[in-house]
Amino acid sequence: MSVSVETRVFRAPPWLKRHETVLAIILIIALVGLGLMNDRFLTLDNLLDQGRFITETGLIALPMTFIIITGGIDLSVGAIVGLCAIILGHSWKTFGFPLPLAIAFALFVGALAGFVNGFVITRVKVPPLIMTIATLALYRGLAEGVSQAHSVRGYPEWFYFLGQGSVFGVPAQLLLLIVLIVIAGVVLDRTTFGRTLYAIGANETAARFSALPVDRVKLIVYTLSGLASGLAAWVLVSRVTTTRMDMGTGYELDVIAAVVLGGASIFGGSGTIWGTVIGLAMIQLLKNGLALTGVKGDATIVVIGVALILSVLVASSLERRQD
Amino acid sequence: MRARLLLSAMFGALLASAAMTAANAAARWDGADDLPTNPLACGAGGAAAPVAAKPYNGGRAINPPDKAGKEITIVDVPKLIGIGYFNATTKGQQEAAKELGNVKVTTDGPTEAKIDEQIKFIDNYITRGVDGILFAANDPVAIAPVLKKALSKGIHVVGYDADAEPDAREWFVNQTEFNGFAKAMIDSMHKEIGDDGAFAIVTSTFTTPNQARWIAEMQAYAEKCYPKMKWLETVEAQEDNNLSFNQATTLINKYGDKLKGIFGMTSVATPAAAEAVTKAGLCGKVAVVGGATPNAMKPYVHSGCVKSFVLWNPIDLGYAAVYVMRAVVDGKLKPGDTSVDAGRLGKLNVINGSQILLGPAFVFTKDNVDKFDF
Repeated sequence: MSVSVETRVFRAPPWLKRHETVLAIILIIALVGLGLMNDRFLTLDNLLDQGRFITETGLIALPMTFIIITGGIDLSVGAIVGLCAIILGHSWKTFGFPLPLAIAFALFVGALAGFVNGFVITRVKVPPLIMTIATLALYRGLAEGVSQAHSVRGYPEWFYFLGQGSVFGVPAQLLLLIVLIVIAGVVLDRTTFGRTLYAIGANETAARFSALPVDRVKLIVYTLSGLASGLAAWVLVSRVTTTRMDMGTGYELDVIAAVVLGGASIFGGSGTIWGTVIGLAMIQLLKNGLALTGVKGDATIVVIGVALILSVLVASSLERRQD
Repeated sequence: MRARLLLSAMFGALLASAAMTAANAAARWDGADDLPTNPLACGAGGAAAPVAAKPYNGGRAINPPDKAGKEITIVDVPKLIGIGYFNATTKGQQEAAKELGNVKVTTDGPTEAKIDEQIKFIDNYITRGVDGILFAANDPVAIAPVLKKALSKGIHVVGYDADAEPDAREWFVNQTEFNGFAKAMIDSMHKEIGDDGAFAIVTSTFTTPNQARWIAEMQAYAEKCYPKMKWLETVEAQEDNNLSFNQATTLINKYGDKLKGIFGMTSVATPAAAEAVTKAGLCGKVAVVGGATPNAMKPYVHSGCVKSFVLWNPIDLGYAAVYVMRAVVDGKLKPGDTSVDAGRLGKLNVINGSQILLGPAFVFTKDNVDKFDF
């Protein structure tokens, strides 16, 4: 005779197994841990301050999420930041534009740079990786050429408000970022445009044959990426009060790390704005918390690398269990 | 159609402006800043025309806690860590800290000479709460907001090696008079390449404050004393060893026989330029002059590739910086003072309002390079 015993298997609710939730939990654990080790870390002052540093990478990470969801990539964002910063400074100082016009012109140049990327990627069918590596060098070279390596300084006081001012205690650029995060999140989740991005990433050919405007959508996201880089350049110049030709070097890696950490698959088809935000926060707050705790210099990067690997491992093992 | 017209007009404007800025730049050597220059007299032993004493133009720490005589913790954030020059300044700082007994100083900074990273390092230390910050700036304007934030929180700020805007720090320890260094460099190069030799410059970046000042003074002095010496080009090498070597090699290949000398403006660029000249087999035909630490240059001096190089003692520079910080905290160095006591270095004078002068530049040659170990 056999006795069958019914065992209760614990099934985790679906939202718990999502990559973003795991990441959020790891982030909270890390924050609490670092906060215990150092009493300056979890102060409102410090967190808002870190918000300032997050903004430049954050602004670019939003359209980068869109691009990575479509299965593409944009490595030229750092160079576009440099180019727009130079255009902002030099069109004001050397060409004599009034400063608001110079800012608008810099944003326009950023959007144009992104448009060129998107145009060649969609019309000439050059793979995004190759095109943006090429434009990375091209735009950086343009920045060098226009600026002749001279930096521009001496902006009027009102210009510094975006990078250094606060509204009701919240840093001005952080407010801008929050507004854009909400808009980007709504667009990705609730609009046809957003669904099209996922469709392109999942299966581009199927999307084309479903009469989705694939080329137009791709063109739009690359232009947005350039525009966001221009915006980031404006915030950066306002924060450091000067324009340098080497601004933005290395930004592309920080941005892509945040997006991929946030759960977007590099092959396209998945990813959320919420995940990107957690990824951003995690990298910046870990760096800051570790530095405050006394971990010297670049040792913080080692710890962050380990944290990234751990979180990706945990998330992917959870996904496998789900299958 | 209209869009295309607009686009081409835009590109045309961009190119025109590039040409305009290029034309403007030709008037001034690349890498030089816009501040007024004061070249010394030509020939041996030229002393500067005395400059009128300037009023104090530094910033003030706001309501700093009174720590006169008590132990203080200070942090040193140089341009980058991991190169011989800043290892030497750190050594001097530790020496001074040990002598004073009530100073704890740590050196922490980015591994690349990037201003954005340096700003984040300083910001973190402001949050951690230190009593004083020593710095060597990668960019004098970009670093100003974060230093002013430190001053507003009552943290004392003293610079060395590379200055920030004067109102962003309290004092700046200047290793040598800019025009004295420029004179020593140009005179050494002139001795090797003659009245109408052509030279190129390898610097860190065009906006790094000390290099920019030196190049401006070098231009003024060369135009005054050796107007026929030709400046070919300045290239950037970001204090990176490989990049400096590649840039120097590119210069050699680009100008061929026309190039008679290379200036290395950083302690990384000079030995890299010497290595490039050695590898190209042009020792003795292309002169290399620059700022560099003795240990890095000993092999090239002994092989005859480099006849002389100019520097000061970076160990003394770090040592003086800590003594200045201690004097500021103790209230012994106030705006308007004309000198400060710096331990074994004796009394150092205040110049240019809020700069403390370490001393004259020193020329190293085959005869004296072995006496030094840093």
